[in-house]
Amino acid sequence: MQDPSTGATQQEDSFHAEAESLALSEAPISQPEVTTKIWRIEHRRSPLKTALYMVGMLMILFSTTMLPPMLVAWWYDGPSVVLPFAEAMGAMLGLGVLFWLPVCRYKIDLRNRDGFAVVVLFWVSLSVIGALPFMLSANPHMRLVDAVFETISGLTTTGATVLSGLDTMPKAIVYYRAQLNFLGGMGIIVLAVALLPMLGVGGMQLYKAETPGPMKDEKLTPRITETAKNLWYIYVILNVLCTLSFWAVGMNFFDALCHSFATLALGGYSTHDASIGFFNSPAIELVAGFFSIVAAVNFALFFLAWRARSLKAIFRDAEFQFCMAVFGGIILTTCLYLYWSGKFPVWEAFHRGFFQAASVITDNGLGTIGYPADWPIFVPLLLLLGSFFGGCVGSTCGGIKAIRFLLLYKQSVREARLLIRPAAQIAVKVGDTPIPDRVMQAVWGFYYLYIFSYCFFSLALTATGVDLVTAFGSVAGCLNNMGIGLGETAVGFAPLNDTATWLLSLAMLIGRFEVFPLLLLFLPDFWK
Amino acid sequence: MSDQPTPGDTGKIFVLQERGVQDDPWPEREPPLDSDAAWPPFPTSQTHRPIRRWSVWKPVKTWLYMVGVLLMLFSATLLPPIAVAWWYDGHGVMWPFIEALGVALGIGLLCWGPLHRFRVELRNRDGFILVVAFWFLSSLLAALPFLLSETPQMRFVDAVFETVSGLTTTGATVLSGLDTMPKAILYYRAQLHFLGGIGIVVLAVALLPMLGIDGMQLYRASTPGPMKDEKLTPRITETAKNLWYIYVGLNLACFLAYWAAGMSPFDALCYSFTTIALGGLAPHDASIGHFQSPLFEWITIFFMLVAIVNFALYFLAWRARSLNVVFRDAEFRFGMQVVAGIVALASLHLYWNGGSLWASIHLGVFQGISIISGTGLVTAGYPTHDSWPAFIPLLLLLGSFFGGCVGSTCGGIKAIRFLLLYKQSVRESRLLVRPAAQIAVKLGDHPIPDQVMRAVWGFYYLYVFCYCAFSLGLVATGVDMVTAFGTVAACLNNMGVGLGDTAAGFGVLNDAATWMMSLAMLVGRLEIFPLLLLFLPDFWK
Repeated sequence: MQDPSTGATQQEDSFHAEAESLALSEAPISQPEVTTKIWRIEHRRSPLKTALYMVGMLMILFSTTMLPPMLVAWWYDGPSVVLPFAEAMGAMLGLGVLFWLPVCRYKIDLRNRDGFAVVVLFWVSLSVIGALPFMLSANPHMRLVDAVFETISGLTTTGATVLSGLDTMPKAIVYYRAQLNFLGGMGIIVLAVALLPMLGVGGMQLYKAETPGPMKDEKLTPRITETAKNLWYIYVILNVLCTLSFWAVGMNFFDALCHSFATLALGGYSTHDASIGFFNSPAIELVAGFFSIVAAVNFALFFLAWRARSLKAIFRDAEFQFCMAVFGGIILTTCLYLYWSGKFPVWEAFHRGFFQAASVITDNGLGTIGYPADWPIFVPLLLLLGSFFGGCVGSTCGGIKAIRFLLLYKQSVREARLLIRPAAQIAVKVGDTPIPDRVMQAVWGFYYLYIFSYCFFSLALTATGVDLVTAFGSVAGCLNNMGIGLGETAVGFAPLNDTATWLLSLAMLIGRFEVFPLLLLFLPDFWK
Repeated sequence: MSDQPTPGDTGKIFVLQERGVQDDPWPEREPPLDSDAAWPPFPTSQTHRPIRRWSVWKPVKTWLYMVGVLLMLFSATLLPPIAVAWWYDGHGVMWPFIEALGVALGIGLLCWGPLHRFRVELRNRDGFILVVAFWFLSSLLAALPFLLSETPQMRFVDAVFETVSGLTTTGATVLSGLDTMPKAILYYRAQLHFLGGIGIVVLAVALLPMLGIDGMQLYRASTPGPMKDEKLTPRITETAKNLWYIYVGLNLACFLAYWAAGMSPFDALCYSFTTIALGGLAPHDASIGHFQSPLFEWITIFFMLVAIVNFALYFLAWRARSLNVVFRDAEFRFGMQVVAGIVALASLHLYWNGGSLWASIHLGVFQGISIISGTGLVTAGYPTHDSWPAFIPLLLLLGSFFGGCVGSTCGGIKAIRFLLLYKQSVRESRLLVRPAAQIAVKLGDHPIPDQVMRAVWGFYYLYVFCYCAFSLGLVATGVDMVTAFGTVAACLNNMGVGLGDTAAGFGVLNDAATWMMSLAMLVGRLEIFPLLLLFLPDFWK
């Protein structure tokens, strides 16, 4: 086991190995002398040190992401806009070093339980420190509640914004939002493909066998990094392709980059108030819709397709087929209804319907002209319900995700069949693999809690004074990490009062974490 | 070895077939009956069934027989309204009912008469179709008086909606001007609740478990009646009879309570029907708010709470001569806790919004229990009146999905399913923390078998899906979002109080929407699966 951070001696290495075999993780920080075996066995791990280590490292890494916005500010906007980012970078670096330095020789070994706490801690701390540039900048001048909302919206790739007047805002701020989407997308991929399956959240242990990376019985930490690296390559490549596509159909380079960040992360932070509607271009809408759907596919499938040098790996996946069938159905219904209701002529109905449907059901959240306020109410409602679907697991989409719906659907059909033939042996299968009961139960538990969260947040929002339609639409927009509201929040989330904004920030986090990690923190069992 | 197959000797038939005998005079025999699949509840040959020929006329005969019986029973229920019309309204109002009675009795005799010696034998599968068909047929039949009468002059779509609303104990009405309507019509609506209520209880406690719906086999162990290994035939009749006694007893008690408190006998009767059936069709436009009497409302609260409990528990309590049976039931406890929680929240919100303490408690408790249980009796102009803050209708609407205990006349998803869902979610969370732990979901002391859990999950998923589908359907017909959400919740949960445009009544809905809502009420009452099964190709094989 390599461990450069402790600087341990040869003798200590052997003790480390022994500690490993006894499933302990604590190592003395910088004591060169030998300590007894018995002391090591009894010595407990320290979650606090683990937390400090990880959060510190995270902050240091995140501070480096302040450099590109500073570059953009220097290029486009001027020194006054560089300043907030520089200040934020300094603050992050300082805090990070403060946290990390005292524990920098500590060896990290994450357990199952720690995994949950770390996930939650990461996202919460990032949400707060990522809000610094927003709070420190003069234009736009944002309060804490709005800045945190905007940051969480970016990192969870929701795309709901409280800002307006984006067209005249400093390009660095606009770029920073898009970059939040980009980073959030990367984080989600790791979360969804590596972490949550490992922890078995919501039935995702199903995907343990299929993640690209080392074998199952290695430790959590190296497995995540290996998996993450592979997927990030794919993510970056797709971003490059998307940027080039947008550039080719008529956007300027800056817009193309930001929109590709937003699209691939299925975030939705555009550089314009009117979102994609600003360009009023069928080609751009088609490209955006296409890449939204691409981004809603399981990234692990992309990796497998790359390794096998063939797209069959993707097309043969049961979840992919189901997902595309549902997408096709909803998109078709949308286009048909738009045409039939007289809202748009044929060609417009097609490209606007395709784009908007693809954007909302994949929980992207880029919008086109007049959506949702001016469109016939049936379409926003259909797409709102579709946003619960999301896309394939292992992508940056939100919602309940295709595989869970597939399993729920198959289970319901099985129930109905068993009523007719009670003695029949029917197993729920995806592709050829029968699904273990444990996974089905986890999926059911997740589905129930998700619906319950939706009802709870809608109720809470109504209690703060928001009207019914706005409440339903806003909660759907945030819990599903979709980003477009309804009623008063149709154009943006600024009209909401502060309590509602905090509640929605929480909703976005819950949706992104897939409910359970946050819930677990409230269980007494967890802290024993 | 004789070549003649004898009853119970299936092996021989295979031998015959293997030899390639072309015209087999003995078609494949029916599977032997077990006691749980026996039907109907009157004497038929049960234990020893000779092999019989398959006949294309048998299903038709079966159906005609059952339809005939239904029609005749229905015509009998038209006699009380005729009496009420004769007493209160005069001959003009009697005619529609007499005509309906004549038609029903005539067609019924026509169907049943030639077949009255027919031996009816139904299978499990037929049970489902029977249940669905009975409900659909009854909805159409019972609409006859509405169609035939002159005040109110109702079109087909509205008549069916009102009838379905009565029979499914929803309580949604398309009528207005109830205060001046003929008393026979008002009584007839309340009677629909009465009949629908007992029908539902028998359905939920006796029938659906027999058909294996939705894991309510859970209650097989506790249903009142003879021991499990006796034949089901006497079992269903026995169970139904007991439930009938309890139901009529409760109605009587409620009627006497209302009467003693000051209502006129007619009002007391109608309100007692509607309260115990947890229906909601009232003889007044303003529902029970018409009286503006807290005493009446507290009586209503008491009897709603009584009606929300599993009727099977009442029978067990009667047999054991102690109410402990009721209070110790896990579902009862959970149901009461949830209802109390929601009601407390509603009362608090009312108080916090500026109401007086007593009024907040009173209104919160009454309206809360009324909506959650799916009754739908309203007071103080709920939900449109300014004194009701917007939070309350939404809270109670979500509460109406909860319903009450299974085996009562409430609507919604019902307490026991939520209890199981909740326990399962807690178990999920615990297993995430300790993946190797052995945790079972338990109800009281019994561990719940996986099959039951899966059935509950399946039901929950389909219920939510139906809600979304109906909402979408309503919006597609042109209804606005708030109205759509509220209306579908009111109908699917058999609750009866809408939102937005339908807050005062369902008369404003367009025809397509009204048909959809009639369907939604039936889907909610039948608990989805029977209707769903009819769409599966497997079912018809």
